[in-house]
Amino acid sequence: MITSNELRAFEEDIKEEFLAGSIRAPIHLSGGNEEQLISIFRDVIPNDWVFSTHRSHYHALLKGVPPELVKHEIMAGRSMHLNFKEYKFFTSSIVAGCCPIAVGVAMAIKRRGGSEKVWCFVGDMAAKAGIFRESCEYAGRNTLPITFVVEDNEFSTNTPTDKAWGDYRWYYNMDTGYTYKRIYPHINAGKWVDFK
Amino acid sequence: MKYKDALTTSMTLLGQVDNTIFLGQSIVYPGHAMFHTLRGVPLEKKIEMPVAEELQMGISAGLALEGYLPISIFPRMDFLMCCMNQLVNHLDKIEQMSCGQYRPKVIIRTSIGSVSPLNPGPQHCQDHIGTLRKALKNIPVWACKSSQGVLLNYEVAMKYEGSVVLVEYTDLYEEES
Repeated sequence: MITSNELRAFEEDIKEEFLAGSIRAPIHLSGGNEEQLISIFRDVIPNDWVFSTHRSHYHALLKGVPPELVKHEIMAGRSMHLNFKEYKFFTSSIVAGCCPIAVGVAMAIKRRGGSEKVWCFVGDMAAKAGIFRESCEYAGRNTLPITFVVEDNEFSTNTPTDKAWGDYRWYYNMDTGYTYKRIYPHINAGKWVDFK
Repeated sequence: MKYKDALTTSMTLLGQVDNTIFLGQSIVYPGHAMFHTLRGVPLEKKIEMPVAEELQMGISAGLALEGYLPISIFPRMDFLMCCMNQLVNHLDKIEQMSCGQYRPKVIIRTSIGSVSPLNPGPQHCQDHIGTLRKALKNIPVWACKSSQGVLLNYEVAMKYEGSVVLVEYTDLYEEES
């Protein structure tokens, strides 16, 4: 499995490419959650599905997508839509948008008696969305093979989640998650880039 | 042939296709006129969904990603509007988002509610076909205006390579055409 240092180096490389004006689309860099994700992905097998978000670089790398392929897609302007069918990796950049789709995949797996499972990652504000709650409840009550992972960095874009929701760390009882402090801005690389 | 019989024939034919699965409200339990048109579909192919339209549309897309052909049923077009995020932002865009890697196909069945002999008011009988056609860039919306239209549209939908929305008119159920 890819290491913490390799994950951080990958994002640093992407950051430099963005600052050089080489990427003509928004990027959402990961960072500060390497150890937590590595721990979670130890349980993810190649045949599992992973559903991700706008911040999906680490998820794709940890799912086993080759770094050069992930970088190719990012350089092509598709950081927000990293999708790799061969690796059963799916991304939506609409908040909580993946949740019911992931439930549908889990339902299909259960109906055909498959042994693989689905992992669905969401942010802390997405975890407050109605569709997340519906998805968790439906999946739980129907014993579908899916785990929802809440990645709690205390922000949605730049809005502190507790300022918008109040005491928000009340998650549905069928998900798991972790907390971390992000080391990059919500979007792009924190410096002005002159795109000529 | 009566309009409702054409719908029953189309559903029965779809039910005979290996990978089809039917989900929605009033699928397993009665509650809407559509229920009776599904009597020829095997019970094991029917999933009664909670009233959670966005969840249902997303689940339909997910089932399609895994090789099923879902017939996702929304008894009224007014209710279909509750799942626009999954329909417009996801199912309609997944092929584009994935550069053609994922091409989930879902047959979406809905109706414009009847106004006779009982008029249910403004939330249960709206025609949103124009709105949907403007919002959907890749999924066609086909209106079924006669029995022959029903049979033809579902036959084409079965062969069509992508998702489709099929709209029926509950006021026509007893009409011969």
